[in-house]
Amino acid sequence: MEKNISLVSPLPRESSRQEGIASLRTSRWKERALAYFFLAPSLILFGIFLFFPLLKSVYLSMFLTDPQGRVASFAGADNFTNILTSEVFYNSLWITVKFILLTVPTGVVAALLLAAISIPKLRLTKLFQFFFSLPMAVSVGTGSIIWMVLYHPTLSILNYALSLIGISPIAWLTDPKWALLSVALMTVWLNLGFNYIVMLSGMQSVPEDLYESSKIDGSGPFRTFFRITLPLISPSLFFIGVVSIISAFQSFAQINILTKGGPMNSTDVLVYNIYQDAFINYRFGIGSAQALILFVLITLLTIVQFKFGEKKVHYQ
Amino acid sequence: MKPFGKKTLAMLLLSCMMLVAAGCGSNGSPTQEDTASAAPETSSKQEEPVKVVWWHSMSGDVGKAAQQLVDEFNAEHKDIVVQAEYQGKYDESLNKLKASLGSDSGPSLIQVYEIGSRFMIDSKAITPVQQFIDADKYDTSRLEPNILNYYTFDNKLYSMPFNTSNPILYYNKDAFKAAGLDPEKPPATYEEVAEAAKKLTKSGQAGGSFAIYGWFMEQLFANQGAELLDNGNGRTQAATSSLLGSDAGVKTLDWWKRMVEEKSMLNLGRKTDDTSKAFAAGQIAMTLDSTASLRSIVKSAEGKFEVGTGFLPKADANVKGGVIVGGASNWILNNRPEAEQKAAWEFIKFLAEPKSQAEWHINTGYFPITQKAYDEPIVKENMTKYPQFQTAVDQLHQTTPSLATQGAVMGVFPEARQLTETAIEEVLNNKKSSKQALDDAAKAITSKIEEYNKTVSK
Repeated sequence: MEKNISLVSPLPRESSRQEGIASLRTSRWKERALAYFFLAPSLILFGIFLFFPLLKSVYLSMFLTDPQGRVASFAGADNFTNILTSEVFYNSLWITVKFILLTVPTGVVAALLLAAISIPKLRLTKLFQFFFSLPMAVSVGTGSIIWMVLYHPTLSILNYALSLIGISPIAWLTDPKWALLSVALMTVWLNLGFNYIVMLSGMQSVPEDLYESSKIDGSGPFRTFFRITLPLISPSLFFIGVVSIISAFQSFAQINILTKGGPMNSTDVLVYNIYQDAFINYRFGIGSAQALILFVLITLLTIVQFKFGEKKVHYQ
Repeated sequence: MKPFGKKTLAMLLLSCMMLVAAGCGSNGSPTQEDTASAAPETSSKQEEPVKVVWWHSMSGDVGKAAQQLVDEFNAEHKDIVVQAEYQGKYDESLNKLKASLGSDSGPSLIQVYEIGSRFMIDSKAITPVQQFIDADKYDTSRLEPNILNYYTFDNKLYSMPFNTSNPILYYNKDAFKAAGLDPEKPPATYEEVAEAAKKLTKSGQAGGSFAIYGWFMEQLFANQGAELLDNGNGRTQAATSSLLGSDAGVKTLDWWKRMVEEKSMLNLGRKTDDTSKAFAAGQIAMTLDSTASLRSIVKSAEGKFEVGTGFLPKADANVKGGVIVGGASNWILNNRPEAEQKAAWEFIKFLAEPKSQAEWHINTGYFPITQKAYDEPIVKENMTKYPQFQTAVDQLHQTTPSLATQGAVMGVFPEARQLTETAIEEVLNNKKSSKQALDDAAKAITSKIEEYNKTVSK
């Protein structure tokens, strides 16, 4: 950076003090301008795709829109009070919470287990590492279609496998008791690749000599794992925790493809509900208001995680 | 040492800009085409053909049949070019239209499903086809009166029906024989269906399955002569409340639920795709589906079993009622130059011709909107080959016209359907009683209607 500035405005060698201050000021100004210049591309992109929509949401959340999505009348805080007093919203919120509880801990534990068993350097380790991280290469859309076939009400392969061991077929997506579980299972699988890679890289960065000295001290594999590995990969765990919760809050594509919020609204998570309000029924007002509430919720949750979770994190 | 040369920096910025521009580009380009097609209207009509963009929702085999009609039209008319564009399913296409209103990136002609009719009228973005009918002195008397009924509002035809269908009962004749039932006599009432389902159920085969599809509920209402909305099904005046919780609904759901409880009827979810697959695989012996699926269902069962078709079951043998015309109609957008609208009207007329309708009918299973089509030799030939086609036609002709069978109209129809489907699920899964589930859904639909009426200026 500094080198750059000297190129842009080399200070004149012989000058009076005042001139020196003035040129210092211009050089500072230039420095700032240059900084913004470099920031401009991302600022423009953020502005168009994030900040503008955010402001527009705040605006829309205070209005009712007609069936074409045009602003029709001012509603003030009506949209918010409607949401906060409606059963549907709390139902969606509760489903979202259940969905998070079903996907985040299982996803983290599953990735942790897979990483733990694929870290020792054995034959085929590389192959297993490749397999375990494979779901990362599958997009949500493709993954959902694959699972839709697996969960098909009459042609389901999973049900066929179950029938071989004498279990009667399960209505994966059409039974409200199972639907959320089925979507959660698919989501855990989908996120496994990413979680696994982060865990694995965390474990690989634990210094080898720590393991060696613990071995000399007579620590068994379980003790080593819980006393040494876990604390040392806590930054990865924390990161995965925060990111998984945010992404679980925002899960949409798999629900749109697999269940469309049904049956009986049993998979109607917040984001899907927002989509339905805004883009199917063209009520941008209520959709925007809900999106803002979701935004506040995620922000609060993330702050809480940083406040309390980060204390337990050990950075090397 | 500079980290970036000025040139590289410029390139970087430029590529960012291009990325942004590329995002907008896909919206921008059709506009140019549109202005290009609008231009000749002012200069000279003969030189350049008028371009008509037709958005439709016909995919697969049906889509091919639609494209075939378009090709024939284009070959016949040198001065008009129709460009057919598949825009996704009905609701997706309608959503795209909503997004394009107020800009000129929309189509000249769009196929909209029957339940989108109220929205299309309220949008004030269309030219009623009645205007062209009057100007042209077009004779509508040869069109099916039951179909015209559906699309006529305040004595005006707003859009031209194109593809119409109704739901029929499909059954597996071989399974009927095996269960000791008469394969030539499909069950006609709720009671008969329930009995047949019980007899047909054995290991590996359930009596039947109906997809949880709001359309079936609407049809079963009409089949009992019951109205779905107040104010004459929303036809004498804009509807203000839903009548979903009435006896007709409760009776239907009680019947449906009893069969599911007795395990003679499976719950395979909301998709008719899944029920028709199960039917073709012999896992269920009866199902409800649109006549538009007739051809593919008969084809998928070929060599396995014989498919029979029957009328949509009635609650009681002596209840008066009938089916509502389902399907879609074509709407002309009013933000297009007059010449283009006229060209679109030409295309609409072509689609309504007996010859086009005959072709369309035998290729798809949608029934002809004009009675003359039945005189076409290809239709007669098809009827002897696939006698199942006759059921849909008879069912339509035996329907007594009334406000109930004319079908309900409301601006929030797609949403009402979702709410109805949720209510059916709640009943089939033992969460609520039929009466309560339907009452709750009716209440929710009523509040959506109120909100709609608030935002639409009359």
